[in-house]
Amino acid sequence: MTATTPDQSAAPATSALRCEGLSKSFGDLQAVKNVSFHIERGETYGLLGPNGAGKTTTISMVCGVLARDEGEVLVDGQSMSSGSVDVKSLIGYVPQDLAIYPDLTASENMRFFARLYGLSRNDANSRIDEVLDTIGLSDRAGDLVKTYSGGMKRRLNIGLGMLHRPKLLILDEPTVGVDPQSRNAILENVDQLSGEGMAVLYTTHYMEEAERLCDRVGIIDEGELKAEGTRRELVSLVGEHDRIQIEGAGDLEAGVAAVRDLPAVREASVAGQVISLIVNEARNTLPELLSTITGTGVQVRSIDVAEPDLEAVFLHLTGKALRD
Amino acid sequence: MKPLTIAAYNLKRLFRDRSNIFFVIILPLVLIMLLGSVFGGTFTPEVAVYDASEDERSRRVVDALEQVSDVDIRLTDSEDDVVDAVSGGRAQAGLVIPADFSAQIDQGSAVTVRYFGRLDTLAPQLQSAVNAVIARESAVIRAARFANSETGVSLDQATSQAQSALDELPAMTVALSIVGDDLVPDAEGFDSSAASQLLLFVFLTSLTGSVALIETRNLGLSRRMLSTPTSARTVLLGEALGRYAIGLMQGLIIMGGSALLFGVGWGSPGAATLIMVLFALVGAGAGMLVGSLLANEQQALAIGLLLGLGGAALGGSMVPLEIFPDTLRTIAHIMPHAWGNDAFATLLQDGGGIADIGTELGILAAYAAGLLLISSYIFRRQITSG
Repeated sequence: MTATTPDQSAAPATSALRCEGLSKSFGDLQAVKNVSFHIERGETYGLLGPNGAGKTTTISMVCGVLARDEGEVLVDGQSMSSGSVDVKSLIGYVPQDLAIYPDLTASENMRFFARLYGLSRNDANSRIDEVLDTIGLSDRAGDLVKTYSGGMKRRLNIGLGMLHRPKLLILDEPTVGVDPQSRNAILENVDQLSGEGMAVLYTTHYMEEAERLCDRVGIIDEGELKAEGTRRELVSLVGEHDRIQIEGAGDLEAGVAAVRDLPAVREASVAGQVISLIVNEARNTLPELLSTITGTGVQVRSIDVAEPDLEAVFLHLTGKALRD
Repeated sequence: MKPLTIAAYNLKRLFRDRSNIFFVIILPLVLIMLLGSVFGGTFTPEVAVYDASEDERSRRVVDALEQVSDVDIRLTDSEDDVVDAVSGGRAQAGLVIPADFSAQIDQGSAVTVRYFGRLDTLAPQLQSAVNAVIARESAVIRAARFANSETGVSLDQATSQAQSALDELPAMTVALSIVGDDLVPDAEGFDSSAASQLLLFVFLTSLTGSVALIETRNLGLSRRMLSTPTSARTVLLGEALGRYAIGLMQGLIIMGGSALLFGVGWGSPGAATLIMVLFALVGAGAGMLVGSLLANEQQALAIGLLLGLGGAALGGSMVPLEIFPDTLRTIAHIMPHAWGNDAFATLLQDGGGIADIGTELGILAAYAAGLLLISSYIFRRQITSG
């Protein structure tokens, strides 16, 4: 698949989520403009964009909290609207805000939402234990939430969205303001869920999270989905390539001349004691490159590989940095 | 069931903070007791008496004082005790019968008993009762002296005969007839203060309860509820039910508690309960409206207190409506308290029932419906719009 402006014709009819032409305005401000994308079962899809890009508005429409002006949302083939009730049981929504009662315990918060999700008492009891275990809060389940650390609250916030085993889990910037350890735990949880077959819609403005978690990424800015695809597809869409810098000793010009003819090498040059290369697929090409260069008698002292990232893609597509 | 779940968790959160038990239940009961005591008919003034003479004549004076209705007599051991009791507020007045009380009478001399009081108590009014007793005893003594001087019978015998004659002969009495209504109707028991305080606290609690609604909205919990298979109508119903349950529970506890603990009468139980049911609905609607219109908890608390106390004052829950000028009394009926107070007054003063307070109940129901509809519309817009 080539990364392009999204084309829903490729989406199977029974995608976990299928959005077509979503639009929403607040007065004169058009917050979301004709956004379309789909997510398959077991897939983690990232909406990557800066604050104010339209991520939260988009997912608010997806989970039926906010009425859309135009477009359609199908969850597991069922139409979702702000008036829908039953189809919402297919979705687990984890808002960016810590939408939990601080003056209740984690268990009480879970029991409350379990009832709203329609779980039976027995199912709720067993499921609460499972989720508390998954998010690592079993030993603090009876404590008031207001006594929790920020990271613990974030984990509980996510746990509430997982209670009813949704087919689609929607997480809106779930790691904002958490410490690195809790952030890592959250990312591992999300990774595990998609591994279990749950479709995940994950919004973030952290490029690293999108690269680490997401099978596909949609880049959104000013309410528009600029492009989507796998990381590799997005990078190739931009036309950037991997860069390798090799510091060495010996006849570096001979080394450059030897690798210049390799098919993966697009450019090669020497500056001082450093050979600079622009290549395709650096990770795959690197062994052959090193073998060729050292074969000319060059002694390699260090290697630095730089692959183009989503930050570069975002910059290319929008003309601004992701965190602007 | 989901509205009940939302309402139940509202209650759970309210009583998770133990101090709310005090403010919602105990404080209103305490205030009803205090106000009832101040205005109430169960209060009996006390006169501290020191009988330094301690003989038959002085004991007769003390006995006569003890016969005075609605006054308690407390005997002390010294004049200092009398002064201490009065100045310390433990007695509303004091009386000292001198040691030479009987001796002076026997000698035919004038005798003086000393009366103590504070101007800020009931001492001036009690002095009338004491004067009446002393005057009666003086009349006996004068009659005995007259008989002693005219017939030579002993003073003691003459005193006994005069006392008998006074008890047996027809006498002049003052018959009290009450004309017109009390300026402050029913202001002599727990009942009046209980009804007005009931309305004040239920409304105040409902308004300040809007803080929890704002917190729920600002934390994003309302929107999160909407992301579950729960309709906006259900969320609204649950939140309104939560506010309503808190107000109604407080009202019924105050009614039941004050009836059991202080013997407060509420008139017809069915009618009183119906007033409470409707007034709690009004409070729930007002609380929802404040919680929907205001942005944060601090604003809600300030406005809630202002409206709760100001509305109660205007609506006759602090000062009875009957002493309002006519124009102000008309204006007072902007507040639902006024209609609630009118309804309770009909039950308590006239012994009325549901049929007698139909207008008040209808207006309270209209208030409740209007407030709940408006607040639901605003709240729904807030949680379903960006």
